[in-house]
Amino acid sequence: MLLFQSEEWIDKWCKRNNLARGEILTIHQVWELSKLWYHNRLSVDYHGRSVEQVAKIFKQAGLTSEFWYIQRLL
Amino acid sequence: MTNETLLWQVRAFVYQQFADTTYPPSVDETADRFEIEFEEAVELYKELHNRHALFLEPETLTIRMANPFSGISTDFRVHANGRTYYANCAWDMLGIPAALHCDAVIETVCTESNKTVRLEVKNSQITNYDLLVHFPLPFARWYDDLVFT
Repeated sequence: MLLFQSEEWIDKWCKRNNLARGEILTIHQVWELSKLWYHNRLSVDYHGRSVEQVAKIFKQAGLTSEFWYIQRLL
Repeated sequence: MTNETLLWQVRAFVYQQFADTTYPPSVDETADRFEIEFEEAVELYKELHNRHALFLEPETLTIRMANPFSGISTDFRVHANGRTYYANCAWDMLGIPAALHCDAVIETVCTESNKTVRLEVKNSQITNYDLLVHFPLPFARWYDDLVFT
């Protein structure tokens, strides 16, 4: 996941690398996602997540497009 | 058969070492910490890698990633708790203060313009709202090539 100053720079990067645009989130959206995703990462009780738990986090973060679809645990 | 309790204790130790020192423990350090044989620690590292709980450098026993922490220097520098951590990507640079539950100053660059960018996490709020993060691959493909992702 890469940081950009604007969509213009993202388009330049995609063109230069011959890649299609993926999903673009604001830094604020990524911060909210980070808190949901990483808040308990140092806990000894963290043993990974189920498909349902991942899907729930994406939904809580407002990430509901097909891009975030999870069929199986990676 | 894997000792599940020990496996997850080792995972937590790796993360705590990252948090305390900014770098991951070696297999030797982990074996010493848990008073186990080197070979057992190796198997636990490999099992955690296989479960995507951490990621080893290919063909080595060196921890490259325990997300959000990076075991190598990157363009995503996170100053927090008096230390400088390295994150794996633009998401993980915010994952570090989220995991440590602390304020942070982040120094990085715009991927295409290469301009230095600085942002701050303070009291659970973030500055520099104009920045964007590009996720090039859909979630289902993140682990096809983790370094690229």
